[in-house]
Amino acid sequence: MESGKPLLEVRNLNSVFPSNGKIVRAVSDVSFALAEGQILGVVGESGCGKSTLLLSLLRLIRYPGRVESGEMLFREKNIIELSDREMRDLRGKEISMIFQDPLSTLNPAFTVGEQIRESLRLHNIVSSNKLPWPFDGLRRAQEKERVLQIMNEVGIPSPMDRYASYPHQFSGGMQQRTLIAIALACSPALLLADEPTTALDVTIQAQILNLMKRINEDRGTAIILVTHDLGLASEFCDRIAVMYAGRFVEQGTVDEIVENPQHPYTQGLLNCRPRIGERDQTIRPIPGNVPSLANLPNGCAFAPRCSYVKEVCETGPVPMFETDPGHLNRCLITSEYRRQPDWDWGVVVGRERA
Amino acid sequence: MRSIKILERVLATIPIMFGVAIIVFFFIRLTPGDPVDIMMGQGGAISAGELDRLREEFHLNEPLHIQLWYFLRDAARGDLGYSYVLKQPVTSLIAERLPATIELAVGALLFSLVIALPIGVISAVRQNSWLDRLSMSTAFLGISMPGFWLGIILILLFSVQLRWLPVQGRISLGTGFQERTGYFVLDSLLTGNFAALKSSLLHLVLPSITLGAPVAAVIARVLRSSMLETLRSDYVTLARSKGVAESWVVIKHALRNAMIPTITVVGLQVGILLGGNMVIETVFGWPGLGRMVVKAIFDRDFPLIQGTVMIYAFTFVMANLIVDVLYTYLNPRIRMQ
Ligand SMILES: Nc1ncnc2c1ncn2[C@@H]1O[C@H](COP(=O)(O)OP(=O)(O)OP(=O)(O)O)[C@@H](O)[C@H]1O
Ligand SMILES: [Mg+2]
Repeated sequence: MESGKPLLEVRNLNSVFPSNGKIVRAVSDVSFALAEGQILGVVGESGCGKSTLLLSLLRLIRYPGRVESGEMLFREKNIIELSDREMRDLRGKEISMIFQDPLSTLNPAFTVGEQIRESLRLHNIVSSNKLPWPFDGLRRAQEKERVLQIMNEVGIPSPMDRYASYPHQFSGGMQQRTLIAIALACSPALLLADEPTTALDVTIQAQILNLMKRINEDRGTAIILVTHDLGLASEFCDRIAVMYAGRFVEQGTVDEIVENPQHPYTQGLLNCRPRIGERDQTIRPIPGNVPSLANLPNGCAFAPRCSYVKEVCETGPVPMFETDPGHLNRCLITSEYRRQPDWDWGVVVGRERA
Repeated sequence: MRSIKILERVLATIPIMFGVAIIVFFFIRLTPGDPVDIMMGQGGAISAGELDRLREEFHLNEPLHIQLWYFLRDAARGDLGYSYVLKQPVTSLIAERLPATIELAVGALLFSLVIALPIGVISAVRQNSWLDRLSMSTAFLGISMPGFWLGIILILLFSVQLRWLPVQGRISLGTGFQERTGYFVLDSLLTGNFAALKSSLLHLVLPSITLGAPVAAVIARVLRSSMLETLRSDYVTLARSKGVAESWVVIKHALRNAMIPTITVVGLQVGILLGGNMVIETVFGWPGLGRMVVKAIFDRDFPLIQGTVMIYAFTFVMANLIVDVLYTYLNPRIRMQ
């Protein structure tokens, strides 16, 4: 976008879960950059590694999972090399996360108000006066004041009464707003939103997305929105990355991805989507199944399901091709086709799929 | 609103106690052996008239339902009858012995919590480490080891060999101890007698360890497994994502929730601590209820057995009530209903 360094730059990130002697490659060779205030959508099917990608950014992958290699530069500092102390200062203050399942993510033993206040306290947002309990009355009151403001901001009605409620007393939408309030408490520069609306019904979904959009516009918070819904991502985001079996397979602006999808998987996703107001409403699901992340093929992971597949696809790792400025595509066939549409396709001795 | 709930629970103990009373009453009368015969022994120098007089004095000549009625009527007034053998009111016999039992139970509970809480937490945090394996196999040993055996080993080691700790009883002679409430530690404090305080605490050490070891083992295992679960939960990941330091994540977010199932087990164990220690009381010469009731059973001393069992039941119910109150405090999902 603007000149200068991006807020976050990820290079060749690999995250793995060793399990039963095998290695589940949940994130493979992911690279992207995110500018301040930008919204990136990460779209992919269930189990393709979206949550693992976000958790990698906070170094919160659960043991024995780990970031195997790669760089994650936040404000030009590599997150992987931060000390535990620096990491804690980053979490919640600079980068915060909205989790997938609001009810199980809120701690059942504490009131929602206290859970929001904890973030303020940890990062000394309201006051850095460090008197211990019970001499922190003034600070506590100031923090509570701020929590009420935040609750109001994220649309929790009558915050005063709700401050002392427990998570199970909230509806799903209110729980999600609470999670957003926790994430926003310290005005982070980057918000990681892991399917923030999947658990909610459609009207609440729209409200939550509007809320996040407003936060993005008012505060300039950059967002990575993870979703399995390409339609939702295309309405909400600036750029979209399509993820398949742990890899980004296509990346570009929303317009590029929606108008000019190049990767066969993206094309498949767009075909799967019922488009309202179009005559041809046939839904064509992609044939076949997602490969196991513990046992990925050497070549293109999508090859077994791809209708353009050629022998070359299965011979080795496929790199990302920049087919148009800012538009990346991890497909040998369609990238090559784009470069020279009048190429003799018979040259590639194809093993056409039946 | 909360206190009304507690009051309700206290009132609910009345029918429970009533039921317990009826059950003990019949069960001890089902055991073979006649109290008067046993009391007179094999001497044979007693006339039939004398036996009848005793039976009459104890109401044993009356039909069962009349005996039951007398027992319930008196119990409702707080009178648990007269011990056949000791010829004293059951209530005062119990009042004399109960503090010793409770003091030992509290000692054992404290010991088990002090041991089990850190072990349970650390074993979960360092799952499968050598520390985890060591403490869990020790816990297994603690559960399967008979109490008297552990007691004897401890006495041999710490009292006989090392001479660090006393062998028997609740306090040494010559400390100038004055009894007030029957709780020796408390009494020593009340009278400001530090020699007695030291002596009574030292006397508590080995019996508390012996009684508390299996309890500690149970609590540690339950706590470990519920900690493993809470440490895997999403709210723990949320806490980390906020920037909470790892030690606080464990103590504040994971342990707090892991205590909920643990508290229930602690409550059950308290009942066991109060009731199941007659063997250990015997090993350590501890003058508690356990030894008294065993003797009463051999003597077929009906009123004393009945009274003691009632007291056991009552303390058990109360321990559970306290656990429930704690439980609601820890678990807001229950508090609201
Ligand atoms: N703790 C774990 N241990 C072992 N494997 C894991 C673990 N967490 C995730 N995985 C594996 O990593 C892969 C990616 O999981 P991830 O949760 O990132 O997917 P996702 O795209 O977020 O899916 P969803 O849309 O269902 O949330 C999955 O195949 C999953 O089986
Ligand atoms: Mg996920």
